[in-house]
Amino acid sequence: MQAPLDDEALATAFASKERWAFEEAYTRFGTLLYSTAYHVLGNAEDAQDCVHDAIARVWRSPDAYNRARGALRSFLTVCVRNEAITRLRAKARRTRLHERVAAEPQEHDEIAIVDVVEHDRLRAALNRLPIEQRQPLELAYFEQKTHVEIAAHLDVPLGTIKSRIALGLRKLGTALGGAR
Amino acid sequence: MSAHIGDDAALYALGALEPHEIAAVEAHASACAACSRLLAQAEADVAAMAAAQRQLTPPPELAERIFATPDAPTPLRRSVSRASWIGALAAAIALALVPTAYFYEQSVAMHDAMLADANAMARVASSPHRRVAFTGQNASVMYAPDGSWYVVVIRGAKHPMHVTWAHDGEQTMLGTAVPHGDVAMLYLPKSHRMDQLAIMSGGRVVGQAQLVF
Repeated sequence: MQAPLDDEALATAFASKERWAFEEAYTRFGTLLYSTAYHVLGNAEDAQDCVHDAIARVWRSPDAYNRARGALRSFLTVCVRNEAITRLRAKARRTRLHERVAAEPQEHDEIAIVDVVEHDRLRAALNRLPIEQRQPLELAYFEQKTHVEIAAHLDVPLGTIKSRIALGLRKLGTALGGAR
Repeated sequence: MSAHIGDDAALYALGALEPHEIAAVEAHASACAACSRLLAQAEADVAAMAAAQRQLTPPPELAERIFATPDAPTPLRRSVSRASWIGALAAAIALALVPTAYFYEQSVAMHDAMLADANAMARVASSPHRRVAFTGQNASVMYAPDGSWYVVVIRGAKHPMHVTWAHDGEQTMLGTAVPHGDVAMLYLPKSHRMDQLAIMSGGRVVGQAQLVF
């Protein structure tokens, strides 16, 4: 059978809850979604659970996605990433609660190694940003900090941090070929 | 309306908002087209970042889990006015009572599906149409003489089945008929005539219909 539809048509069918579109969306974007979850969570088992739960929730929710929300690929990627961040923060809270902070560095080490060695394209694009935009963007993307935490960490006013992150993300998206 | 989301679009897409701020962004974007576009662009930028990282092949069992996800409830057609909805519902109920039709003794799930597809029912009930049986499958297709809509009904379906349009030596996916009770149905509003439809299961054609216009 021919590749039936482009991403636009797939998104329309997904928004209409057509079953084949749900399966086709995973077939097309599964690698990106799994990779996104893995890079946040640092292990395969958690990444699998995260992708499954995030996609299933979007699928079951009648209003989660409509065409006004933009590209299905981007929407699902952000859903999966935000789900992964929520899980990571919950795990960190549990770890702190049980005073097992020593268990944390193991997973971050794995992520850190991947970041340095294998993210050349992303790193190269980030390195072209001014440091005042790159720093908060890296803290948000790689360390999953909130803008309040980033502002405190860098000792910069909240509004300034927000605008620097937004500007940096726009530049980075353009550099990486994000659709505009 | 609340203030536009502005730079919060980037923070939302990056997962960098505080939990209590997320709902406010989503609520505003759902009612503001400009902010919805802003959010979509920020999400595209974050997706571009994610795609620039090392890509990992997901384990096959993840696909199995994803594909085992139950069907989503079909969204109600919100644009249908109350009067027309009631009319369509009446038509759906009337159709359900026709003893020779395929809606006889349907399950509650099928009834829900009929409500959700009230437009399709209204079409069948009120519009002139033709009907052709599929060969190789206990199924039929009702369609408008001008090709503006099609309703495929598959009886005895135990699992979702894809419906395709065969043309120019290719099969174009039209949608999936999902069973409710013993009947799977697919409503296809279209703008063109499709003279050959096929039902597919497990990657192979299990039923074919030749439509006449």
